[in-house]
Amino acid sequence: MIQKNSKKRIKGTLHQDYDIEFLGDNFDEITKQLTDSKADKINRWIEEVILRRIQPITIGSNQKYKKWPVNQLLIFRYPFTIGNSEYRILLVKVKNAIYIEFHLGDHKYYDDVRKELGVKKGNY
Amino acid sequence: MVIVYDPKKYQILNQRIKTAESILEQIPAKHCFISGSFLYKDKYNDIDIFVISRTKKKAALKEKNVKLQTIDFNDLHSLFYHSIAKSCIAKNILPAKELKVTIADYWQVVSEAIPSLLNNKNRFRKTIRNLILYTEYLISDDVLDSFQLSKKIEEFKNFSEVMDYIQKNVPAAVLKHIKKSYAKRFFYTQAGNYKSATEYDSQRVLYSIAHQITKGAANG
Repeated sequence: MIQKNSKKRIKGTLHQDYDIEFLGDNFDEITKQLTDSKADKINRWIEEVILRRIQPITIGSNQKYKKWPVNQLLIFRYPFTIGNSEYRILLVKVKNAIYIEFHLGDHKYYDDVRKELGVKKGNY
Repeated sequence: MVIVYDPKKYQILNQRIKTAESILEQIPAKHCFISGSFLYKDKYNDIDIFVISRTKKKAALKEKNVKLQTIDFNDLHSLFYHSIAKSCIAKNILPAKELKVTIADYWQVVSEAIPSLLNNKNRFRKTIRNLILYTEYLISDDVLDSFQLSKKIEEFKNFSEVMDYIQKNVPAAVLKHIKKSYAKRFFYTQAGNYKSATEYDSQRVLYSIAHQITKGAANG
């Protein structure tokens, strides 16, 4: 139930015309394991992001990430655990505009996305 | 038989060496090691195990409270590896590569640490490991091992003390290692980037530090 509703719920919270992409190798498997209270917490965090109460990570580079200049992106990170497993959400926004991507994955997936975005180069 | 890296001679608890050996024997990799609080604290949360490997395949271990992390051979020049491998218990002699630290890498660490710190004011210690490791290295040319790094982090009583440390030490760390002309160019661009998001506290802090560095470089 949570899995089916989660994407719809996030889209509803973001309330924008642009169709945000949901990404992550095991996105559906992870959302299946979410309890109601964890799903609520994630939704409250998204609301806080919208209200600009969560601090973003920015990258001062002219490189491109897909069709966007990296220095125009704001990246919001939310770490959480299910049992002993650690997961991360990365919500990517274009400055003063739209939310373009919602990533959900484990630590390895998170590191790969960070490298793609240019937040992380090596194993530091 | 394991290799004990303990340059300070007194840090690693003797009783942990046997446990470490039995854990490392279960890992089917030539280069693996244990670092962190398990080696030197009576009470610890997790056992931090590192495997140097080209594959991301993880070993199944009997112990439950283990955190297994794979390090690529390309990352052996990183400050992170040099720090965790400095004081550790290893299955074999660990491969050594020259340490490479760039100011661009450092600035990425700073840019990521400041928002994380402001988002986690009450749990600030969890977010500043890399920041302190890099800053201390650039200021003193000394790589802190896990024991020294934890001790340094524990010295901060609250979030404000970390912010004071950042304001004081980050510009000094950068200016010590960078050509003034490059500093002016690089940090002028960075400052411009932060200026376009000053509705966020973290970006205002980063703008102020970048500006301070540019000014320091201009004044020689």
